[in-house]
Amino acid sequence: MGLTKTDLDILNGLPARAKVGIVGVPPLQAIHAITGKTIFDLDEPIVRQNIDETILYLPRVYCAILRTVMLNSLHLDLDAIVIDVGAGKCDAALHVAAILGDKLAIPIIQTRNSDTLDFGTPLCDAKMNLEEKIGSICTGIQNPHPHITHESCLPTAGFWGVPPRDFSILKLFPDTTHVFGWTRCMENKTPDNWPLETLVNPDIPTIFFSQSFCAKTAMAKHLASRHSHGLFLDSDVTAGNSIRAKIQAFLELNGVNHASC
Amino acid sequence: MLLADFGTTYSKFIDSSPGSKPYILETKALPADLHVDIATGHNGKRFSTSYINELTALAKGGEARITEKSFTLLDCGSRDIKYIRYKNGQLADMGWNAECGASMGFTIELLERYYDIDFTTLTPPASYFSITCGVLGMSHIFDEITTGVSETIAVAKFVKSIAINAYRFAGEPSTIHLSGGLCDNPLFVKSFPCEVIPLGRYVLLDGIKKIARERI
Repeated sequence: MGLTKTDLDILNGLPARAKVGIVGVPPLQAIHAITGKTIFDLDEPIVRQNIDETILYLPRVYCAILRTVMLNSLHLDLDAIVIDVGAGKCDAALHVAAILGDKLAIPIIQTRNSDTLDFGTPLCDAKMNLEEKIGSICTGIQNPHPHITHESCLPTAGFWGVPPRDFSILKLFPDTTHVFGWTRCMENKTPDNWPLETLVNPDIPTIFFSQSFCAKTAMAKHLASRHSHGLFLDSDVTAGNSIRAKIQAFLELNGVNHASC
Repeated sequence: MLLADFGTTYSKFIDSSPGSKPYILETKALPADLHVDIATGHNGKRFSTSYINELTALAKGGEARITEKSFTLLDCGSRDIKYIRYKNGQLADMGWNAECGASMGFTIELLERYYDIDFTTLTPPASYFSITCGVLGMSHIFDEITTGVSETIAVAKFVKSIAINAYRFAGEPSTIHLSGGLCDNPLFVKSFPCEVIPLGRYVLLDGIKKIARERI
């Protein structure tokens, strides 16, 4: 579903200094419309408030990313939110969009990103600190222009999944980690791209990550079970010691020189 | 070189020199200035020069103790459960349940003392509870007792529930190599619906011994 004329009129009518929140990967048409405005990626922890503030609106046992969206939306004094719903994000985003619409007196513009133009995935395959790499991919969705090229590196490990709510787990991976799953779709700017989302490298030890309570958990577990060097891992709001230990041990026992060695 | 596995309730030590025997101390009795060379376990970082994470220690312990190339090694501790699975000599899967496996071993020990139960005399009951962890599972014991079931039988059902949980967590293998203090609990060992090979409390120590040798 592209933007309706009404949605476009709303976005184009926002003042130059408007603050716009985005959720998921909105279609390029929406990104073009809000380019130049102050954009907040509501999927990322921005507001430093207790996430349990959201239990007035969302269950406590719920995707930490969407709880973060709610927390940010309650505090950022936004002028509009563009939230991608459906296959390019998740059904739960559709529900959260409805709740935001009821709670906030600002336009909540729902999109279903069906963009198919491949922008490529140079960052996913680059040699770079993984935290910085996925951070750059997340920032990149706000930019409608072609990617800067990066030289591809030989991978020693793989990370499959969505950008984690707690980026600190990414510090445990080597710089030669290739990125797969929905994060790869994000960089390619085609969030609803099943073949790309399920692409893996069968030859490298790969962590199949999912946020707890996310529907993608099932796919992460399934793909991990089919991969000869795969480990399923899910984590909620913050990653505890057992999560970190699993990553460290998995990489160590597969002979990967990881960042915490 | 002094090596240690600092568990939540018990800590295990061994000197790496040949012929040394491992020994156990209660963690709550450890002197604050204790220092070892290499350690694993929940409290390991604060007592050691070098720290090995518990899953790595468990895996290396399995490599040291188990001759089969394909195996599932499950460690049931005071506070959590974790497993390592090898297939054809390669790591195939692992898990560490620190939250929903909470306090299983610790709870069983508390119940043993409180109700003065001798686990060597019990056989596993036919039924068990559906529980998520040791702490939340205790309410089932109390509910069962209110229906007239004996305390011993209620606790036995609880122990079997814990074993079934651990078995499922480990992926329901046909054989489990069991590590940790619960190896000494015959009711727990007999409660698994599969073959169980108890390896005792020192598997993680054996793991860090192997790592220490590999480093040298």
